Amino acid sequence: MSRDTPRFPLAALLAPLLAGAVLAADRSGDAADAAADRLAHDIFKQLIEINTTDSVGSVTAAAEAVAQRFRAAGFPAADVSVRGPNERKKNLVVRLRGTGQRRPVLLIGHLDVVEAPREDWSTDPFKLTEKDGYFYGRGTLDMKSGDAIMSAALLRLKQEGYRGSRDIILALTADEEDGCCNGVEWLVHNHRELIDAEFALNHDGLVGYSITSEHGVPQEFAFSATEKMYADYQLTVTNAGGHSSLPRSDNAIYQLAAGLLRIGRYSFPVELNEVTRAYFERMAKARSGELAADMRAIARNPGDAQAVARLSLKPDLNALMRTTCVATRLEGGHSNNALPQRAAGVVNCRILPGHSKEEVRKELIRVLDDPAITVRYVADDGAISDTAPEQRALSPSPLLPQVLGPLESTVAALWPGLPVVPFMNASATDGIFTRAAGIPTYGVAGLAVDRDDMHAHGRDERLRVAAFYRGNEFFYRYLKALTTD
Amino acid sequence: MTAGTGASAIAGALLLTLIACATGATADAAGARAASDSDALARELLTQLIAINTTDTERGNVTTATEAMAQRLRTAGFPAADVQVLGPSERKKNLVVRLRGTGKHKPVLLIGHLDVVEARREDWSTDPFQLVEKDGDFYGRGTLDMKGPDAIMLAALIRLKQEGFTPARDIILALTADEEGGGANGVQWLLQHHRELIDAQFVLSGDDYSVLTENGRPLFFQLIASEKVYADFQLRVTNKGGHSSEPVPDNAIYTLTRGLDRLAAYEFPFELNAVTREYYRRLAQIESPQRAADMRAILRDPPDEQALARLSQEVVDRSITRTTCVATRLDAGHANNALPQRAEAVVNCRILPGHSPEEVRRRLLQVLSDPAITVSYLASDGTLHDAAPAGRGFPPPPLLPEMLTPLDRLVAETWPGLKVIPAMSAGASDAKYTSTAGLPTYTFSPLTVDPNDDRSHGRDERIGVASFYQANEFFYRYLRLVTAH
Repeated sequence: MSRDTPRFPLAALLAPLLAGAVLAADRSGDAADAAADRLAHDIFKQLIEINTTDSVGSVTAAAEAVAQRFRAAGFPAADVSVRGPNERKKNLVVRLRGTGQRRPVLLIGHLDVVEAPREDWSTDPFKLTEKDGYFYGRGTLDMKSGDAIMSAALLRLKQEGYRGSRDIILALTADEEDGCCNGVEWLVHNHRELIDAEFALNHDGLVGYSITSEHGVPQEFAFSATEKMYADYQLTVTNAGGHSSLPRSDNAIYQLAAGLLRIGRYSFPVELNEVTRAYFERMAKARSGELAADMRAIARNPGDAQAVARLSLKPDLNALMRTTCVATRLEGGHSNNALPQRAAGVVNCRILPGHSKEEVRKELIRVLDDPAITVRYVADDGAISDTAPEQRALSPSPLLPQVLGPLESTVAALWPGLPVVPFMNASATDGIFTRAAGIPTYGVAGLAVDRDDMHAHGRDERLRVAAFYRGNEFFYRYLKALTTD
Repeated sequence: MTAGTGASAIAGALLLTLIACATGATADAAGARAASDSDALARELLTQLIAINTTDTERGNVTTATEAMAQRLRTAGFPAADVQVLGPSERKKNLVVRLRGTGKHKPVLLIGHLDVVEARREDWSTDPFQLVEKDGDFYGRGTLDMKGPDAIMLAALIRLKQEGFTPARDIILALTADEEGGGANGVQWLLQHHRELIDAQFVLSGDDYSVLTENGRPLFFQLIASEKVYADFQLRVTNKGGHSSEPVPDNAIYTLTRGLDRLAAYEFPFELNAVTREYYRRLAQIESPQRAADMRAILRDPPDEQALARLSQEVVDRSITRTTCVATRLDAGHANNALPQRAEAVVNCRILPGHSPEEVRRRLLQVLSDPAITVSYLASDGTLHDAAPAGRGFPPPPLLPEMLTPLDRLVAETWPGLKVIPAMSAGASDAKYTSTAGLPTYTFSPLTVDPNDDRSHGRDERIGVASFYQANEFFYRYLRLVTAH
């Protein structure tokens, strides 16, 4: 996922469960499993050890390394293409051909990673280090594990001589984290034919759609079918200032502070969509007591004030029900002994599908209720404009049976009884580009991560070894299930 | 001054008339020529000083200004031994120059600081580091605080030297660093390390304008004999932060802004001392009937509540009768898309003599009434301390006749009917160091400013052109009078 990395709402599956008898019995052959694990591990290690940061790294080097594996495995050269407008940021697109009975499925994953200063880390972030049951390294979560797992699945299917009912296209891309426009966005606009598909799966998975557990007990398998839209706003108050020994009645800092308090007290209206309604309906079945009743209540009637009030106390559920805006930065004044001539705050919003950034800007102005506070839009590149884009956040992708059916059956086989729930991602991924291009897109990962391990952009990013291999097996099986009918 | 006042100029035409009256009555043609030469010199010095950035930033350098002025003094005929450039910081050296007299009396020390507060080009209508003359005003950072007064003191000394004037006491001028902040390389350092260079019977500081006007009409001549104590405090809130996609109620920015909201609504208790009582007693003789009545009413014991409420609407009266604290800076958060882990504000306080910074720190804690907000003392060198100094300010010095008599005479001559009124400065200046060292210190600069348009430390700082020349002539004549016998 990009800069935007919300913490994982729930904890992850524990190692003992992963190694349990149910899972082991489900395997078809130890030798085949060992080979599949080894392959995924080798690709994983190779990718981690190629620096793909925006600053000094090369995504092209990683794309070429994986391309080489596909060519060596017998993929025709024409089906393995490495391309892009930037020499350091080329994308890999591979196609495993099927019977053509159905339209293709597109898998997307980004190869670039965020920066990782060596001095902040306990291990070398650009070496895959296995220690105490974990893989450490930059990208172990976000998302070279997913890249390796998707690549390994395609290679394994190819080696088996498998022909699915649809082509499986894998795009490993650039510029998801930092930098701009050389990745999925570029492919969609310049090589739509290479990646056109009935639907897309995004493995950029650890943003609240994956296997989650509490106290070691798996709670649900969440997959994303929609995203909130990210927007930053700058609030500014200016004042003539003056000397701080003579405080005047109007003060830029106090005016901004009072405005921010109004924003802090304000809640946007509750609004559910197809995805979040299904989330609450399905989660209600996996929960008990008042929580389950409240979830059922708002799925039926989002106007149920008491249920809303109780559910709003949980930040993860609150974020699913409404647009949220929160103050994240402040800056004001230029000298300790001068009255501030300027005070500014950044308010970060996550906007529900169906609403626009400009609509939210106007709502902020209404809530602030002070003409002295100006509200401007801050674009991703930092440019500030008086108004925000009018474009509405994309509607959720429909919950297609050809995607959901195989997912439920694969999850049921590997984690019997685990509910599969659709989820709305509170942060942005490359799924916005495929979804905007009319390709329904779902975030599916199948990796189990502890809440405390959500160090996706932080130091000592890590992933449980057992979770990696389990996720590898899951994805291979899911791809087969998606392409067997 | 570190604490301040503002600049506006009374109508140029009026001032020119006043100058014509004042000088015409006493000066012959040669004197007028000397005055005009002196005006040209003062303007040259001011132009040069404004153009040298002396902020406490990487771009600023006080030594550059010091050396430039030292060069001027040597060229004007001061012996090299009497022009000293010294200080512990390469970038912040002080200038000490001595005009030798007969030695009949102990010397008089003039002090002025060369450093200025930061000024951002984008906030200003003109380049703050260029002297711009426009519509009867000089614009530039430091025109008022206090390169204007520095230029006037320098020009007076050079003029006296060139006239071959031998005063009855040495006149020492110290132009110094670090008044606005940045540490203790200025007056404090000179007192500690070179007391012999600057020892004097009394001290005149030019660090506040004296002719206060309203609607262009001079009200009185302010002579500052007491000062509030300056103290900065840092308010700080920390939080574990988290991802901004799932806002939680406990937010460092909101905690801080709630505190600032309470601080904005709080007023310290009303209190008068010997100087401020005298100030209101004399001011009541020249004020409008309602204000005069209110001033007399607050001098009663107990003070009249309604009169106090009316007077407290005026920023100047509020700052004379109360300790004030005001938020001057804000800083919070580290990324637009992360919940803030830290939120800080600087609160600047001006404390009445008799109260200590630590007493005020404890009061701030009470007002904020939130244990999540810590309040530390922020020393002038930028270091933070859990507790603040317990010192209670210096008592006002006696009003020495050798200082006051010539001032009364010259003010009456220059502005017939205008009264000299001893006052407490709402701000703090380097006078606190000389006063604490036992040197009676009086602050005045005969510039004419409307306190409602005081732009020191603010944007578009300015002084009236006519006022500057008038003050230049006034100060030269005052120095002659104060050292004539």
